[in-house]
Amino acid sequence: MSTDRFSRQSFLGENSEDLISRCTIGVVGLGGGGSHIIQQLAHIGFQRYIIYDDDVVEESNLNRLVGARTVDVSAMTQKLHIAKMMIYGLQPNANVKGFACKWQENPKPLRECQIVFGCVDSYKGREELEIACRRYLMHYIDIGMDVHGKERPVIGGQVILSSPGELCMRCMGFLTDENLAAEAGLYGNAGSRPQVIWPNGVLASTAVGLAVEIVTGWTRHSLSHAYMVYDGNQATISKSITLRNLKTVTCPHFLDTDVGDPILVGL
Amino acid sequence: MRIDIKLTGRLYNKIVRDLARPHPFATERVGFVFGRVGLLADEGALILLSRYQVIPDDQYVNDPSVGARIGSEALTWAMQSLYFGRATREGIFHIHMHQHKGETRMSRIDSRDIPKFMPGFQSVSSEAAHGIIILSLNHGSGWVWLPSRKEPIPTNTMSVIGAPVGIFEWRIKR
Repeated sequence: MSTDRFSRQSFLGENSEDLISRCTIGVVGLGGGGSHIIQQLAHIGFQRYIIYDDDVVEESNLNRLVGARTVDVSAMTQKLHIAKMMIYGLQPNANVKGFACKWQENPKPLRECQIVFGCVDSYKGREELEIACRRYLMHYIDIGMDVHGKERPVIGGQVILSSPGELCMRCMGFLTDENLAAEAGLYGNAGSRPQVIWPNGVLASTAVGLAVEIVTGWTRHSLSHAYMVYDGNQATISKSITLRNLKTVTCPHFLDTDVGDPILVGL
Repeated sequence: MRIDIKLTGRLYNKIVRDLARPHPFATERVGFVFGRVGLLADEGALILLSRYQVIPDDQYVNDPSVGARIGSEALTWAMQSLYFGRATREGIFHIHMHQHKGETRMSRIDSRDIPKFMPGFQSVSSEAAHGIIILSLNHGSGWVWLPSRKEPIPTNTMSVIGAPVGIFEWRIKR
């Protein structure tokens, strides 16, 4: 069904349009980061989506939620609805399975995916998604941004690719017991975090680029994992220093045989 | 009922490398790949493959009437592996490769001989899913015997979760 629509991205490969259309993509979290990702995926030609968000549009979202309009605040439009409208507006024949709940409340549909984007706020949320992606064999691409400091604010962020059988977010030094414990200590007291649209755009674009590479292999570089760090003050995105110095080549945290539904084994 | 298969790119490459090796007398190779079930929405199931067992050259039987025939030693080993993995419901899949491109189907000999293994696999590990996987040079499909089922269910999709991703869909009716 090749048309002129994708002629400008034909360098992705002769079969790229077909490969892209057959890939099932999960997006968990359809806010500042997820809405950018959805928009780009739909432009590129992805047709199959499993998407989750249990939230509605609030006024504080309008500074960054792609596709949201002022009227969506008073209408209390679901972010899920905004994402669906974005996809169907660009891909009328897309197959979108959307869930207005947390993915943990209905995890089975997500397992169909080949690639899952995690656009969640917490380390714990990322850890849970990565575990599911390992267990049900899905590439996991994580994005996140934060603003630190009030006197001289610093914008930081990351894009991580964690693939089954390859290095995980613990191996890459992003997830640690310390940051999980520190986050747990703030439970209920985290407050609202600063968020702006342009870092989300940079991170989402980088993440989508990884996904297109995974699906089409257009660069011909074998990609097993990635950890890229965004410096919003310098406007740079570069390979993490931790990853550059990493000696580990095999993930000790997830066994290849730890797949499928967990089974209780009697001792 | 929807059944999909997934495996990592690393495992897929290991399998393909082994199955592509020439054998001293057999015209093709076979292997065993192990996996577990994950439930999908709408009563579907995922078969998640996790490890591959190479069958040594000397465990083939010289039978020119078929591409490859494995001997009792290889089968005994497979049964023992199943026995030890039954607590975690690890199933076993007979896998081989057809040397063509495109979608695969069981040959006359495949459908006559390989399904005969399944009752034995099911008796040793009754709560696991077992089956047959046939790869081609750029595709692959499977037939899965779910626990307590006597007839196989053909798979919808086989996904190779590597870089690049491989998504082998069955588009013609089986």
